[in-house]
Amino acid sequence: MEEVRAYIESGILELYVLGQLSAEEQGEVEGMAAKYAEIRKEIEAIEIAMETYAISNAVLPSEGLDLKVLSAIESLKTPEETLSPVMQVPDKTIAAPIQTPLVTVAKDSRIRSLRIALAACAALLLISLVALYSAHHELSEAQNQILALNKQNQSFAATVGYMKQNTADLQKLADMPADPNWKTVKLAGTKMDPSAKMVVYWHTTGKHVMVDNSKMALPANDQNHQYQLWALVNGKPVDLGVFDVKPDTSHILINMKEISGAQAFAVTLEKRGGSVSPTMNQMIVMGGVSI
Amino acid sequence: MAPSKKISLSEEDLVLALKSRETIAVQALYDMYSGALLGVISRIVLQQEIAEDLLQETFVKIWNSAEQYDASKGRLFTWMMNIARNLAIDKVRSKDFRNTSKNQDIENNVDFIDAQSKVTFNADILGLKDLVTALKPEFKHVLDMVYFKGYTHVEAAEELDLPLGTVKTRIRMAIMELRKNFN
Repeated sequence: MEEVRAYIESGILELYVLGQLSAEEQGEVEGMAAKYAEIRKEIEAIEIAMETYAISNAVLPSEGLDLKVLSAIESLKTPEETLSPVMQVPDKTIAAPIQTPLVTVAKDSRIRSLRIALAACAALLLISLVALYSAHHELSEAQNQILALNKQNQSFAATVGYMKQNTADLQKLADMPADPNWKTVKLAGTKMDPSAKMVVYWHTTGKHVMVDNSKMALPANDQNHQYQLWALVNGKPVDLGVFDVKPDTSHILINMKEISGAQAFAVTLEKRGGSVSPTMNQMIVMGGVSI
Repeated sequence: MAPSKKISLSEEDLVLALKSRETIAVQALYDMYSGALLGVISRIVLQQEIAEDLLQETFVKIWNSAEQYDASKGRLFTWMMNIARNLAIDKVRSKDFRNTSKNQDIENNVDFIDAQSKVTFNADILGLKDLVTALKPEFKHVLDMVYFKGYTHVEAAEELDLPLGTVKTRIRMAIMELRKNFN
């Protein structure tokens, strides 16, 4: 027993309890403890002393740390363990470190949540594509509408312009009888086309000459020819300009060149742009000025 | 935690429950020893937040290595205490921890903690502190260096410039004194 006493008094048991020994020395102490009850008791007494010393130097953890620790432990459990009717901890916010089987459990749930996220992303992408397509569709529809409205607007403006011109022409015509200087000259068809006829208005002092489209009965000219108006002044033809006869002519009155004095007016069919002198066999209408 | 909620089990029951992986074992261990373990950790790692993280790590490690605990080799608390202290020492010596330059010299930890009056005493052993502080200062100092500050007894001998044998004797004397007081 002297050996045991010396062993105890060497202080190695204290170092053992304090975790200060190498693995080899630890094994030695454990062997001695297994062999001698006295050593076992001594170790326990030292342990209890250190335990009490630690407790007397305790530092209280923050409130709520117990729940964190318990939930960390709870999340470390394997699924079968979780089924046991042990108190469940509501707070699961603490992630579980290490321990192999659990990592796969955590991984599974992570994969599952990743899958859900992926599905959500795909759904969002699909919705965005549909929304984009419909927005694009609506936009092109709106653009088409704008184009159509623009066209309509243009034709409307053209119509308004045409009507304004018409109104002005009609006003001019309405004013003519009140002005004695306006002469109305009716031109009758020649033997080239006996059914042809037209009307020329001539202002004797203002020299204006106008052709009345609405009272015109001439065959339409082609692309290479134009009608040319002539005034006969003292037996000589004077050019008063060319005009076209088209089925869709918009103007009522066509202004021609001015002339101060004329005895008669005539129209010949000439090459496009007019001729210097009238082609007599192409005279289609003619009429004298009545005083 | 209200005192009525606290769980206390006998050591045998605790070990049994822990090894059969019952959560109640952790609850009981926490209620009985979290303060004592945090006391040890806090003297090595000053920052309370980090110390409490380490306490949580300690419980996780206790849970995970419960199978390795051998009751024939020592008491449960000794085993848990060594886990806590080793985690704290590993932390203090880790690179990322040393990089946080705010760390105080490990030497001053005990005084620092005590000065912060964060030390709370177990009601059952009220007045014990007086007995403990009645330890001969040179004995207490060596014991605290090894028990609370993470020194090995070899490092403590170098630090105090004492022969290893003297350090061992002082540790033994200090613990003898404690045993006398606690009985």
